[in-house]
Order: sequence, then C-alpha cells, then structure tokens
Amino acid sequence: MESVMKTSDLNHHRIKTNGIHIHVAEKQGQGPFVLLLHGFPETWVSWHHQIHDLANHGYHVVAPDLRGYGDSDSPPSPSSYTMFHIVADLIGLLDHFNQQKVFVVGHDWGATAAWHLSLFRPDRVKGMVAMCVPFFPRDPYIKPTLFFKQSFGDDLYINQFQEAGRAERSFAKYDHLTVIKKFLLINQTDVLIAPRGMEIIDDMEIPSQLPPWITEQELQIYADKFQQSGFTGGLNYYRTMDLTWELLAPWQGSKITVPSKFIIGDKDIGYKSFSKPYIEGNVMKTLVPDIEVVILEGHHFIQQEKPKQVSDEIISFIQKLVLD
Amino acid sequence: MEGINHKMITVNGINMHIAEMGEGPIVLLLHGFPELWYSWRHQILFLAAHGYRVIAPDLRGYGDTTGAPLHDPTKFTTLHVVGDLVALIDAIGADKVFVVGHDWGAIIAWKLCLFRPDKVKALVNLSVHFSPRNPHLKVVESFRAMYGDDHYICRFQEPGEIEAVFANIGTKQVLKKFLTHCDPDAFYFPKDDPFGDKYKSPVTLPSWLTEEDIDYFARKFEQTGFSGGVNYYRCLDLDWELEAPWTNAKVNVPVKFVVGDLDLVYNIPHAKEYIHNGGFHKYVPLLEEVVVIEGAAHFITQEVPDEVNKHIFDFLQKF
Repeated sequence: MESVMKTSDLNHHRIKTNGIHIHVAEKQGQGPFVLLLHGFPETWVSWHHQIHDLANHGYHVVAPDLRGYGDSDSPPSPSSYTMFHIVADLIGLLDHFNQQKVFVVGHDWGATAAWHLSLFRPDRVKGMVAMCVPFFPRDPYIKPTLFFKQSFGDDLYINQFQEAGRAERSFAKYDHLTVIKKFLLINQTDVLIAPRGMEIIDDMEIPSQLPPWITEQELQIYADKFQQSGFTGGLNYYRTMDLTWELLAPWQGSKITVPSKFIIGDKDIGYKSFSKPYIEGNVMKTLVPDIEVVILEGHHFIQQEKPKQVSDEIISFIQKLVLD
Repeated sequence: MEGINHKMITVNGINMHIAEMGEGPIVLLLHGFPELWYSWRHQILFLAAHGYRVIAPDLRGYGDTTGAPLHDPTKFTTLHVVGDLVALIDAIGADKVFVVGHDWGAIIAWKLCLFRPDKVKALVNLSVHFSPRNPHLKVVESFRAMYGDDHYICRFQEPGEIEAVFANIGTKQVLKKFLTHCDPDAFYFPKDDPFGDKYKSPVTLPSWLTEEDIDYFARKFEQTGFSGGVNYYRCLDLDWELEAPWTNAKVNVPVKFVVGDLDLVYNIPHAKEYIHNGGFHKYVPLLEEVVVIEGAAHFITQEVPDEVNKHIFDFLQKF
C-alpha cells in the first residue's frame, strides 16, 4: 500500500471545480477513463488496489477525495453537500480532464454520487458501477429521515448523524484510529441501530484481530487524514439527505438509463435483513433497466476486503461496454 | 370563460390550481411574473378548439395554488417548480407533453427540458431565451453589473422590500404598470423613490387589456400578495448554485422561440447577437424556428394573441 502512496507514477492534483478545490489521485493511461468515488468514512486511498489493477489494463484512473474529505475543501454548511453540489464537483473534474463521457465507480456515498451523476447527466456517463448502496425509488411524500425513523427508529445511525455536532462529540471520545477501526472493520450484518440512550460509535466493536485484508499502517493513513479534516464534512452528506430529497422532485419516477452494475457483499450491513429483497426484486430492475447485480462474499468495505474480485468485476463490466 | 374547467390537484406537497380545456395531446402553458393561468385565456380557447387538451396552472406561489410557504424564498427554486410540474404531468396520466412557456414560465420550461427531456415532446418558448450558466458569475451580480442596484432584479432580492413598495403603489396599479410595459428598457425601482411614486402615474389601458382583465389579476394578487412570484427572483443565485451539474448542458428538445422586438429581455445587451448568430442554437441544437414579432413587447400572450396562437399551433402540428 505504501507503494501506491509514494509511487511516482501517481499524480496528485488540487483542481478548481464548482467553486471549491478537489484533490485527486490520478494514474494516467490510454484509457478508458474511470472515476472512482469513495464513501464514508474514507478517502481516495480506499481504491488503492483498484487504481493499480485498472492501470495495469491501461485505464486512465482518477480517484478524488470528495467534497468534505481528505485534502479537498470542506465548506462549512451542510446545505453545501447536496447531491447537486457533489455531482457538479464531478462534472467540473470531467471538464478539467477533457472527458466528455466516462466510466464511474462509486462505493457507499460514492455510489449515491454515481447514481445521481447518471440521473442528472447521463450524457456524461458511459457506464457505472455502484457498490453497496442501490438506487432506491424516491417516495413522493416521505422524506428520508422520516422514512428511516418510521422503519428503524431514532437510533439508526443515519438519524443519530442528523444533529450538527452530535456524532462529532461522540467520536471525540476516541482517538481517530479507533473511530476508523470501528467503521472499517465492521462485521455486524444487521442494520446499524444503537441501543436506546447510546451513541452508535459506543456500540460499535473492534474485532480482537485485524482481518487479513488491511494493516494497522493503512488504517493509520485514514486516521491521520481524518485528524486533519475532521468528520463533519463526511457527516454533512447525511445531514443534507432531506434537502437533496426535496430538490429531487423533478426526478420523481425517473429511471437510470446508463448501463449499470451493482456489487454488494452478502454480509454488508442490512443486506440480509433489509435490502436483499429490494436488490433481488422487480422495483430496482424497473428503475434501472440495464443493471447487472453481483453478490460477493464480504462486508461493507468490499473493495478493500475483496480487491481482486472487485477489480475483476469492474474490468469485465467496462471491457464489455467498450467492445459493444 | 366558458368551457374552461378549474381543478385543484395535489402535487409535490402543494395544491395546484389548473385551468383545463379540450381533448387531445396535452399542452402545458406556463405563465410568468406577475401573471396567472389567466394570461393564457386566448391560447386556451384557441388550442382547445384546435384539437388539444390545454392545461394552464397557477404556478407555485400564485393565484389559487396554495401550500407553498410564501415567507420562505428557498422553497421557490426551479427544482421545486419543475418538481411541481413533473408531479402534475404524472397526476394527469401523461407521459410526454407539449410545453409553452412565457417569462418565468419559459425559464421553468428550459429547466424542465434540461432535467427531464423525457417528459417534453416539443417546446414553444416565449420571450426568454435559454441562457447558458456562467460558472464564474452569479446571476444577480451579473444584472447588478449590467444595470446597477436599482434594476428590478436587484431590488427584488431583499425579502419584504419590494412588497412594501408595491403596497404603496397599490396592487391594481402595479399590475397595470407591469402588464402595459412596452418599453425595451428594464424596470427600475430607485431606492430614492421608496414609495414607487414614479409608478403612480395613470395608465391608459391598451385595447388588448380590459378593466375586467385587470380586476381578475388584481383580485388574485390582493389575495396572495406578490411574495410568491418575487421569491422566484430571490432564488436566482440559489438556482445557479444547484444547477451547477448542468453547466454547458444542452436543451435536447425541439424548440420554437417567439419574442416581441420591444421585449425588455430581447433588448438585454448582446441578447440579439446570441439569439440570431448561433449562440442560442449551440445550446439548443434542436432550435427549429426563431420568430421576432415587430411592435410587440413583453406580454405577448395578451398583446398579440392571434399571432401567438398561430405560432404555437403551427409548431405543435409538426409533431
């Protein structure tokens, strides 16, 4: 992993886009161009395996730190973190690299960003891979936090993350490495709901041994970044879910027309207990008519846990579209 | 207005009033500021008589449409208004519709085409051309730089301010002044004329606008006030921020554009070059026709209704 961090054939840029600066890691290649979008609480580094694997196939790979993360800017207000802001950041990146139409791979919040990039600007997306977070239909009447409250109660992590400062205060009881471990090493499979009166971070356990797919040093790299940036930027995405929902009214009932692949680990949080029927069902296929679903063995941070399998799935998806 | 049916439909969290008439392919008519469904009275009768099902809503914040929080300008973005219309199209069971827009209705129509081209068969837009987003310059600032602080768009920004000026002038008088404005120059509300005295001079109504027409508008605006409509202007910069994903995006819907040569929007510096010399076509590649009506000003749906009727009908016929 250090070789990816220090290697001289990875370029780092701070690019002015949509009124802010976004840091990206880039591995040049003859193409095609692939944008890799991380989730919470991660950075571009989550993709270090895929950057290497895709580059070996000659792809031109760009992995940004999304707005609010890593070495990118973190505007202070939650309302600067709607999907409209995030997608516009990405459009600016594509314009910077002179790319008219690209492949996009997103994990977690990065998947949400990829879905919305495909929804808003299908003319800029050749194909997309979403990992762990499917494209859900918009309820015309019920905003997300209310839906989550009704389905899972006030102590679902998403609802606990709503109040400004609350999650930050609960995280601050731990050092940054511990917080990162609590998230990245998640091996519970049910939905993340804290017991009444408890903060979610207090209820998350760290396994006694690190799993084989990540090292203490790698985890420290994330911890150091979040020590610099804080968690507020990343948490603001959750805090803006209702506003994004409200502004998405024009896309009520809209389909994703871009060729898509969805990848999830069978032990991902809430997969078996909540999202499996949806992922296997007809609603998603109707909403995303051109979708291929792949279930891997693994947990939430799947591109790091099963790097070769994820890389292979991305490459085979892109190759098929390139040959068509 | 015989034969016009009035309905209330719940869409996107508001209660939208629509005027509806006729049977056939659906044509959605979108009014501007400071207007109502009523501005389309001539087009509704004509198009319904010529085989179309015409639907003219009172847009969010106007007329008999209720439910939008008039004191919260942030609820009047183009995303909200287009959301209302997408819900309306779904509610009436349509898949794809014809759209005709004027003034703010034209702006909303452009955005509907950008966001949901799958919902629009073809568009006839009146008065306001499509303007590409400038990523380096916010909208209000661009008007301030071009026209100064007293320009109506600048004076509309501060919540409550222009409402107080309008209250001083009087609702009916405000409407008379706006609807009969045939000046290619913009509206100004100088700060040193806080009571809007310059707008108090008597208005002789033109032949195309009767006292009954004015009374209808005045009744509705006395009920609602002007905040709803003015809030659209207060969202110009928020719209600019939220519409960033569509920087340089094109309108990919067949379009006919109609404007009066005395229209203040047509007479914005450089607008004519943009409209006629290729800029407009670059952003609206399916722009099929541009029509300039000589001697007509901004409120053309009421000023030259027969010509507007014909231009709309001739275009929609092609699809």
